[in-house]
Amino acid sequence: MFTAVQVMRGYRQLGVSARLTIGMSILAALVLVVGLISLTLGPVDIPASHIAWIALSSIGFDVPEFGRTEQLVIDQIRLPRIVVGAAVGMALGVAGATMQGLFRNPMADPGIIGVSAGGALGAVVAIASGLTGLFFLALPVFAFVGAMGAALLVYGIAVVGGHFSMATLLLAGVAVNAFLGAIVSAIIIVLPDNAALREILFWLAGGLDSRSWEHVRTAGPLILGSTVLLLLLARDLNLLMLGDDEARSMGVRVGATRVAMLLAASLATGAAVAVSGTIAFVGLVVPHTLRLMLGPDNRVLIPMSALGGAVFVILADTVARTIIQPAEFRVGILTAFVGAPFFILLLIKNKRQVYSL
Amino acid sequence: MLKSRMQILTLGIVLAVGVLVAACSGDGPPSVPVREQPDQLAERSLAGVRGIVDPNNSGWPRSVEGLNGMVSIPAKPERIITASIGHDEITLALVPNERLVAVGEVTKILTYSNVSDLVQDKAVITRDPETIIAEAPDVVVTSPFYPAEGIDALERAGIAVIQTELIQTPESRINAILLMGYIFGEEERAWEFADEIQARFDALVSVTAAKESKPRVLALTQYSDTLWVAGADSTEGGVIDAAGGINAAAEAGIQGNQTTSLEGVIAMAPDVIVIAQPIEFGAEEFRQSLFDNQALAEVPAIKNGAVHVVESKHFTTLSFWNIRGAEDLARILWPDDFPDPPVATFSLAE
Repeated sequence: MFTAVQVMRGYRQLGVSARLTIGMSILAALVLVVGLISLTLGPVDIPASHIAWIALSSIGFDVPEFGRTEQLVIDQIRLPRIVVGAAVGMALGVAGATMQGLFRNPMADPGIIGVSAGGALGAVVAIASGLTGLFFLALPVFAFVGAMGAALLVYGIAVVGGHFSMATLLLAGVAVNAFLGAIVSAIIIVLPDNAALREILFWLAGGLDSRSWEHVRTAGPLILGSTVLLLLLARDLNLLMLGDDEARSMGVRVGATRVAMLLAASLATGAAVAVSGTIAFVGLVVPHTLRLMLGPDNRVLIPMSALGGAVFVILADTVARTIIQPAEFRVGILTAFVGAPFFILLLIKNKRQVYSL
Repeated sequence: MLKSRMQILTLGIVLAVGVLVAACSGDGPPSVPVREQPDQLAERSLAGVRGIVDPNNSGWPRSVEGLNGMVSIPAKPERIITASIGHDEITLALVPNERLVAVGEVTKILTYSNVSDLVQDKAVITRDPETIIAEAPDVVVTSPFYPAEGIDALERAGIAVIQTELIQTPESRINAILLMGYIFGEEERAWEFADEIQARFDALVSVTAAKESKPRVLALTQYSDTLWVAGADSTEGGVIDAAGGINAAAEAGIQGNQTTSLEGVIAMAPDVIVIAQPIEFGAEEFRQSLFDNQALAEVPAIKNGAVHVVESKHFTTLSFWNIRGAEDLARILWPDDFPDPPVATFSLAE
């Protein structure tokens, strides 16, 4: 009888292709199962058979009758929400794995260079000004602009004088995070409207309510594009983790690669934050947990973090929208509630196996 | 002639006996205040009003029991601050305007306040107790959300502070008016005003209580992308009850104000949707988006065009002004019974 630890050790001794094939198959299947379960759950009672008929009819099969409302609930409400959840989880997982690798710090997450704080500021401005009620997508657009603006500002500070420094980047991230957080607090304090205040707090807690295909179309290509780029650069990230000189000697264009990875991770996170608010812990917990299980090879870790993040967010959102239905809970609160204790448990159990990056 | 005199005498006796019987038939004070002559109002008993320690004490000092404990008010307060918008609205109905010396910023904003036109020239207070102390009030009435540290600072400055909660049941609404009237030394005006509020509430309930089939109403708002519904024990829920509707969110088990999804709206299947959201926060656009969303097409309220943008400050205030919300909603639910617009405002203290 093999223990889980023995199985994971055996897995880590396999070649990259085998590890990728096995791991991706398992996680892809998990995404599918969790997605299907999520599709069957919600305040409107839709039998699983009707969902199957709806799916079959959409690809041309002749099926028994089902309700028009049932079809619209599946097509227009549940499915886009699940897809957005998967995309957000994928973005946060990939960006988290990349940041942890780039900073050689297992506690790094996508917010470290100000992306989340910038997104929060953009969203808060949109809500406080009342634009969110007047223009569809005002909130994601503002959040995205804020997220990317903050990331570029931090990066700009780190390259002042023509020399890029990771230490400066990290410290600039801390400063910009604090500065943007202070602006958000100032807006919250001077805002007289209680409803807007409540909405800001809700957005900051992260959520996937009322996500539509528009949100998929808005954030999806950015997340997909940046994820593909980060997957292509995974090997270079492995080399960068050995040190700049070693990476350079192996043919990596260190500066350009690092900038590309930072921008791609920021882009993925900014797009995710724009459509979901700040969902806590995914970018930290998912890559870190997978690293403990699978090892530090980014060629495996980054794609697995993409799928792991998707599973985690879909699952959390399913619980969030069904646990007190027809009311809803915030998915960002749930990810922190579940993620933090799980993360601590994992750290305690694997104290000796935690990889120092 | 004699016969005629006897008839008059008999009629007189019968009338006199009738008046005597009517006069003796009352069993103590009525549970619902009845309008009386002004000189009789002050003599009505305040027994049973929560927060008043000794209903028989109409002099000074007098004590009240707030959420922050027993508070003694040494003399009739001339300079009053009530540090919440709901309390401000009640205060202005009970005391002459000049006795309310300062208000929070929100009370001045037309979008949220039902008394904004009455307070534009008043000083502004914030949560910083220093801004309150600077106005030298004799008494401060606060909501439960005012911090204990602030209350402590005000009390150390020698100000009587009473922390009270405004709850929107019909009974609590009257209790708040009578308690605040007692705190301000305006019992007579408080009774008069409580009668006015009770009469407007009774005028609604006398019609709606008799309805056998009541529509299911959902109070729904959208701020940015998030949908909110008002369930049981919410202010909007109290308005729906008072207007004779069934609160669809409360029926679905939702407590207070919660977020929901479009799917949740479909599941609750309301007959009527009211959007108690300021116009400048996209209420009309939200209403249109509900009609444009095909997934909602089968919801009765959408199918029947029964989605209404209403005056949000009438629905969300914690003061008696939400009677106006109930009157607005009653006109929507029962247009034949309430053909005329409600009285626009309430009486003010002179």
